[in-house]
Amino acid sequence: MKLLLAGVSHKTASVELREKLAIPENGLAEALRDLQNLGASEAVILSTCNRVEIALTVPDHEEPAPVIEQFLNSWKSSENAFEGHFYSLEARAAIQHLFRVASSLDSMVVGEPQILGQLKSAYAIAKNEGAVGGLLEQVLTRAFGVAKRVRTETGIGQMAVSVSYAAVELARTIFGSLNGHSVMIIGSGKMGELAAKHLHRSGARRIFVTNRTWERAEEMAALFNGRAVEYAQFLSVLPEIDIVIASSGAPHYILSRDDMQRTIAVRKNKPMFLIDIGVPRNIDPAVNDIEGVFLYDVDDLEGVVSANIRERSKQAEQAETIVLDEVERMMARLKLEEVTPTIVSLQERWENIRAAEVTRALRRMPNLTPEQRPEVAAQMDAMTKAIINKIAHEPISALRRNAGQPDGDQFIDAVRKVFHLQD
Amino acid sequence: MGESSLLWLRVAAGLYSLGLLDAIVTVLRRREGLFRIALGAFGLGAIFQLVSIVEQGLVQHHFPVNDFFEVMSLCAWLVTIVFLTVYWRFKAESLSVFVFPLVFVMTLVAALSNPVSRWSSEAVRSTWLTVHIVLALFGYAALLFTAVAAVVYLMQERQLKRKQTRSFYRLFPPLGMLDELISQSLGAGFVAITVSIVIIVIWAHISYGTSWIDNGLISTSFITWGIYLALIFFRVSAGWRGRKAAILAIIALCCSAVTWIAHFRLESHLLQ
Repeated sequence: MKLLLAGVSHKTASVELREKLAIPENGLAEALRDLQNLGASEAVILSTCNRVEIALTVPDHEEPAPVIEQFLNSWKSSENAFEGHFYSLEARAAIQHLFRVASSLDSMVVGEPQILGQLKSAYAIAKNEGAVGGLLEQVLTRAFGVAKRVRTETGIGQMAVSVSYAAVELARTIFGSLNGHSVMIIGSGKMGELAAKHLHRSGARRIFVTNRTWERAEEMAALFNGRAVEYAQFLSVLPEIDIVIASSGAPHYILSRDDMQRTIAVRKNKPMFLIDIGVPRNIDPAVNDIEGVFLYDVDDLEGVVSANIRERSKQAEQAETIVLDEVERMMARLKLEEVTPTIVSLQERWENIRAAEVTRALRRMPNLTPEQRPEVAAQMDAMTKAIINKIAHEPISALRRNAGQPDGDQFIDAVRKVFHLQD
Repeated sequence: MGESSLLWLRVAAGLYSLGLLDAIVTVLRRREGLFRIALGAFGLGAIFQLVSIVEQGLVQHHFPVNDFFEVMSLCAWLVTIVFLTVYWRFKAESLSVFVFPLVFVMTLVAALSNPVSRWSSEAVRSTWLTVHIVLALFGYAALLFTAVAAVVYLMQERQLKRKQTRSFYRLFPPLGMLDELISQSLGAGFVAITVSIVIIVIWAHISYGTSWIDNGLISTSFITWGIYLALIFFRVSAGWRGRKAAILAIIALCCSAVTWIAHFRLESHLLQ
């Protein structure tokens, strides 16, 4: 079987080009049927906002590239537009690419978890259409295993790489579970709203919103099933709050060190996490000096994100090593499968010779009585089988050993010629 | 101490034990469960203790501060009166966590002035002692655990304050969880040490009469208990948590270790 993977991704094509090649989910089944009609033994189509890729297999005596060309001709009339953006990978390179994609090493945000789900979904559609069931299925199922191994053995997906997620991650580092914790949103900035949404999804249920415009506060509070608080009153509610998100457009500090000192005293030093994403800043930076108060502004959060991205890059290097290791194992396994027919032929040929020689030898012993004949036959069988096994051991081991090597095919050919094995 | 006077003192100690129970419930469950009952018992206990002191004074025809036990009883009563006055004036309920156990232990010690009959069997004596040792060791282990959690807390807190995110620190539990661990282990350790103190005081009283007062090991237990009591007080009453509580827990462990070392070095020095 020959394996080919072709397509475009965020690394090779603009979003306009990717859009042109994209196949909607409801068209995937038909596209897979077309690929099979064009000669593909198996096919899978991965169509996401960042990549459109087609992986297929064809029998050894056929070429996979024309299948793709014909498919693009029939599905996307302007295939010339993809020239220079389209990549085409075969065999080992295709396997490595699939492993990297599944492990989120080829993603725009390295380590993001969605791609694995998207690949699994593409595989499920292909499986449903009967478009996988051989080499491609083996490679894909292994790719899911590799992705799991990468997630388990590296911390590639553990660190937040967006400002709003970084805020949630920090809140978890301070409070542990966010269940039951309270959040106050001051102002109506978009980033503040996004951070509040993430915190709400992570378990923070008591949301308070305050704004100079009362209607805006009520509107935002309704989004989270929260409570609007009069702007003039918000300081009195503050002791009840664990996490404050300040994103108002106020030109001065709306929370001073004295305000926070009073608040923390009322809270009996229970910790507070303050997220200041207002520009200019809404909270006096000196507040961070108060014990139990953790203040992060936009620059601090971006610093956390940068550190996380650097950490993810380090983890990605480790993940690449895992992928390479898995590709080697996969190739060795596939080669072993290729060499199996040769080993079976070899064993059959030797067995035929041995059985024929034992029969001939028994014919040359006319003096044997009918009682002696089965016993002698059994002894000769045992002896000759032992000889054959000992002679066969080394060539078969060598075949298995060489199967995964670069010159493995030549070695297999040589063995087939030496022992006159038929193709 | 006169028999009748001692009886009133023991009744007072029994009433004060409700205060101890309230302090334990407050520390472990972090809510005031029995405060009203304990406060009533405390007031009643103060009356019985006053009766005991007055009676002792009438018997002796002078102020009853003749020995360690009488001084202890008077001090306990004064602490009680000061607490009740402060509570009446300022409603400072949180002070009870510190005062209730302290007054109970002081009164218990004061009530052990007269020797009683010795142990009925050696087995009961050694079981009593074993329970004390196990509880005391559990208390020390809890203090050690509290201090370790406190060190981790300080490291994690420092990272968060400095806004540094190193992957190493991701392995540490969140601050909230560490604070909870410190609080739980402190509460459990306090209860264990308090019960072990009560057991050893009664045990020593039965075994040695009144000569146990200057026993080094028992003094060590009292010092550790005092440190625990201060920790609990600062945490529950003054709301000390986070960095302050963590530092206090480490200091408490160091104090306890120093007390132990000092005690054993002194003992080996004396044995030489």
